Amino acid sequence: MQPYDIIIVGAGGGGMYAAMEALQTNPKLKIAVVSKVYPTRSHTSAAQGGVNAALANRHKDDTIDLHIFDTIKGSDYLADQDAAAILCEMAPYVVREMENLGAPFSRMEDGTIAQRPFGGAQKYRCCYCADRTGHTLLQALFEQCLRQGVKFFSEYYLLSIEHDGDKAKGVVVMNMQTGKIDAMPARSVIIATGGYAKMYWQKSSNAAGSTGDGIAAALRAGLALEDMEFVQFHPTGLRKSGLLISEGARGEGGYLVNNKGERFMKTYAPEKMELGPRDLVSRSIEIEINEGRGFDSDAGQYMHLDLRHLGAKLIKERLPQIRQLAIDFEGVDPIDEPIPIRPTAHYSMGGIDVNNDGHTAIKGIYAVGECSCVSVHGANRLGGNSLLEVLVFGKLAGRHAAQNAPSLTPGAISTAAVEKSVKEIEAYGHHDRTERYGELRDELGKTLGANAGIYRTKKKLEKGIEEIMEIKERFKNVRVNDGSVIFNTNLFQVLELKNMIALAETVARGALAREESRGSHSREDFPVRDDAKWHKHSIFHMNDQGEITLSTKPVTMGKYELQERKY
Amino acid sequence: MDEKKDIYFKIFRFNPEADTKPFYDDFKISVEKGVTILRAINYIKDHVDSTLSYRFYCQAGICGSCSMRINGVSKLACTTQVWDELPNCKEVDVITIEPMNNFEIIRDMVVEYTPVISKLEKYISWVTPRIKQEDLGKKEHLIPEAEFKVYDAATDCILCGACYSECSMMTSSREYISPLALLKAFRMVKDSRDTRSQDRMKVLNEDHGMWDCTHCYRCVQACVKNIPIMDAIQGVRNEAFLRGMKNSEGYRHAYAFTQDIKSTGRLKESTIAVRTKGIFGSVSMLPFALKMMSRNRMPHFFVKTIPGIKYVKKIFQKLK
Amino acid sequence: MKYAYYISCINESLSMEADTSMNLWTKDLGIELVPLTSGTCCGGSNLDFTSPDQFLAVNGRNIALAEKMGLDMITSCNTCLLGLRHAKHILDTQPEKKEMVNEIIKEEGLEYTGKSEVKHLLWVLIDDYGLDKLAEKITNPLTEYKFAAFYGCHILRPSTLMGGHDDPYRPHTLEDLVRRLGGNVVEFESRNKCCGFHTLLVAEDESIKLSGSAIDEAISAGADFIVTPCPLCHMALDAYQKEALARVQSSGKMRILHLSQIVGLALGYSEKQLGLNKHVVV
Repeated sequence: MQPYDIIIVGAGGGGMYAAMEALQTNPKLKIAVVSKVYPTRSHTSAAQGGVNAALANRHKDDTIDLHIFDTIKGSDYLADQDAAAILCEMAPYVVREMENLGAPFSRMEDGTIAQRPFGGAQKYRCCYCADRTGHTLLQALFEQCLRQGVKFFSEYYLLSIEHDGDKAKGVVVMNMQTGKIDAMPARSVIIATGGYAKMYWQKSSNAAGSTGDGIAAALRAGLALEDMEFVQFHPTGLRKSGLLISEGARGEGGYLVNNKGERFMKTYAPEKMELGPRDLVSRSIEIEINEGRGFDSDAGQYMHLDLRHLGAKLIKERLPQIRQLAIDFEGVDPIDEPIPIRPTAHYSMGGIDVNNDGHTAIKGIYAVGECSCVSVHGANRLGGNSLLEVLVFGKLAGRHAAQNAPSLTPGAISTAAVEKSVKEIEAYGHHDRTERYGELRDELGKTLGANAGIYRTKKKLEKGIEEIMEIKERFKNVRVNDGSVIFNTNLFQVLELKNMIALAETVARGALAREESRGSHSREDFPVRDDAKWHKHSIFHMNDQGEITLSTKPVTMGKYELQERKY
Repeated sequence: MDEKKDIYFKIFRFNPEADTKPFYDDFKISVEKGVTILRAINYIKDHVDSTLSYRFYCQAGICGSCSMRINGVSKLACTTQVWDELPNCKEVDVITIEPMNNFEIIRDMVVEYTPVISKLEKYISWVTPRIKQEDLGKKEHLIPEAEFKVYDAATDCILCGACYSECSMMTSSREYISPLALLKAFRMVKDSRDTRSQDRMKVLNEDHGMWDCTHCYRCVQACVKNIPIMDAIQGVRNEAFLRGMKNSEGYRHAYAFTQDIKSTGRLKESTIAVRTKGIFGSVSMLPFALKMMSRNRMPHFFVKTIPGIKYVKKIFQKLK
Repeated sequence: MKYAYYISCINESLSMEADTSMNLWTKDLGIELVPLTSGTCCGGSNLDFTSPDQFLAVNGRNIALAEKMGLDMITSCNTCLLGLRHAKHILDTQPEKKEMVNEIIKEEGLEYTGKSEVKHLLWVLIDDYGLDKLAEKITNPLTEYKFAAFYGCHILRPSTLMGGHDDPYRPHTLEDLVRRLGGNVVEFESRNKCCGFHTLLVAEDESIKLSGSAIDEAISAGADFIVTPCPLCHMALDAYQKEALARVQSSGKMRILHLSQIVGLALGYSEKQLGLNKHVVV
């Protein structure tokens, strides 16, 4: 079979925008977008708050430079400053292009795109469509892909990424409807498979499939991962389900209130209050709860997010979705009562190490979006910068791949590579296997939540690593009970668990190694930021024995010098 | 402590690899109040039968993956509370779970979704802006809030397919456009940034298109996002009127109503068929006409004009 | 009990038996129906989209006529019910639209204020008159017969416009009435489904499949009659019955009753008086 020019794995915001850009750059390219879910099901749909861009529609004195600074400061100075600059410089262009292509936006009085305040931003620059910006952007991207005739392979599961050590060869995938495993040769591969915060399972806001499949496949293929220990806990997840209540609720003026009725953020972020960066707000809630100023319930301890003072009209107009979530999942109407919330594992800053074109060390292999680490978010991501990242780097990687793919001649994917996956999958069905998927998955989530959560210590992390390794060992004995080839969801879940375990190890090891607190990584035993020793990125590799090895690489600096990070 | 009780789940099963025909499996689990249908079936899958097959993803009512029929009604499993379904059970405490209607079944609750995408493609469900490729990204269109409000609700659609599953015409013909494609079409037609509405209206005007909706409102009743889908369907038909697209039976049928109300206030039932279908088209109505005549039910050709008709005419003069 | 009687166009012409049968027994129950002679067609679910504003004004006027009489409106057609209630909802919740309508109808000496309710005959019998009271007047309990209740879409959906009178997915009010009249009710999944009437002219094949499946189910369930509160459903189920059954590869016979006829039968009127001989399927 003739190789594809570009195979994009993942049909979320990053994957689809990359496909569009690639086709625009060269309409003759043979491109396929492979996704384990139908495109509009992708987790981009759940992003609520908005996409940042210094359009200066709301605050006329907003500038790209201010956005760059906010991003770098928000990252606790771990972001590569050149990458952050590219992110913010391209922001007005990509947001306006999406608008031009039909993405609906809420509007200002003068008809321009509406912008609202968001965490860690000096100016109001978060462009939004009510509280469903991710959903509307994703729908618009899908519509445009249909318009351009993008070829989708929906419900195909990524099994492995293939390369010859120098350049890409393609991917091995499974058709989820038939169980058939095939090699898809390609000159280049763009991984856009999303993040891994779902490994925290019960304590995560993510979709069930945010299991880091592409990142784990890259790790197994010998590619480097970066900054895996940085997992963002979003401050306001619903108490019972962990589902997300958008930062937009605080952007519109919501208060965080403890059991004394105080807006406690005045202690931790006197200037920005509820709109401090997410890591800061999550830590603050955690401290308040630990010091007895939280609320108790069977579903655990929580804080109040009070929107009552905003009034019914504003809530119904600007925050209808979060109102519905509170009603559906907590039985609380924010018009009348405060919403019970607690921090939830929401976003993963870590991912596949790529340069500013989204390119990895292997020619023709790219990574885009939450599965990548450029790094634009460093140790902590600002709200509104994730949707921005998928658009900017989706476009850059799509363009770069389109320009370079024709000059690459991939080697063939060996039958052995395909056989490897076939045999692995067959083995899961053996009757003598005894471990249960659900049990292992829940235990993984529990140990991560307890030992690699918001506040980490050497002791807890070591315990965490031990328990993860044990789960990794027990996984070798996990059984897939469903023996059918047709849409075997039991199998897909086990494969996803395999990926979560592999990445959980990197998170815990990275967290143990990094003896400082920076951004979303907080060490109770190393409570300050240590620029002298730790102003660098963590790098992870998997060797041939399947062991994780750690190294580091420097942060690219620019015009912003290291400073203390206060809000 | 939240209430807890034993709930039975009667779940549709069919695996073409192993089964010759579908059957129902019964499961009994202890469920706490506040648990959703999705969490309940996840529990069954984790602890009782891992072969139970269904789609789910975000668990938060935004991705649209987990639509299925719960006690006979198409809904999202992740936003439906088990407790809320108890009054709807045919047998006490037995909740029925089935795949969506009007779709081919792949396995259990997993249905073949590609027809939805084909329909979106057929009806040009995207914006084609007049901005040239090289000028994209420079400036946003200036859209007044009033325009956005027209299709705001329509952009809520998560393509879950509940309306498709509930649609009466869909059960009669899989070729029918479907409520969700009509909703997208409305959203596109009302977006001033798009330049292909003429083409789109043309396809909507053809067979199995916008005129085939039988106004049963099942889509509106089922929509998981409470989108007034019928307003959108009426909206695209209204668009046909605004554009003077007279060459369809649907147009002529509706037009006949307005003419009758304007002229006499009441319908001239005897000629509606002819005015809708034309002389040749009405030949097929002959058996019906004969049946009516045999029962002495043929309506009068001359319809009495209502008193006050001049005021009715004023309405048609003053409003468009 | 007095109501402004809004007659459906079809009940004045093709289905007059529905109207004549209703007029027979409403007097016995002390329900006075004052015809709305100046009322126009409601638009038949077509005017809504040919011109939304004209639709509002036409039906605002219809309701204003009832308001002038100081009476609530009663109708025995589902589509008229929906059209009027839909217009009423918009006029009651959007003041600019109400103003627009009143500007025009004031010339006729009319004003829409929203004080007249719009009700279906079925609702009047159940809520205003009362099934217990109705049961006392029965002289011919329908105990020998089995009925399949076909509600018709526009008395159930959208439920937000139906004032909570019944559950759109598990309706029961028509069946409650039938039981009170002594009749037996069969299990009938099609009871809240669509008969396809509104697309009979433009998409006949698809429409008769809908009515065909409903009739077929009633036959399989052993019903003697299908009873429906909507004359449009009656037309689809009765006048097109042969074609509809053939379309779903079925055959047989199912007599279709108007709501007004089933009540009339239980109150002692004959089939001939109630116009059952006017139906296509006798």
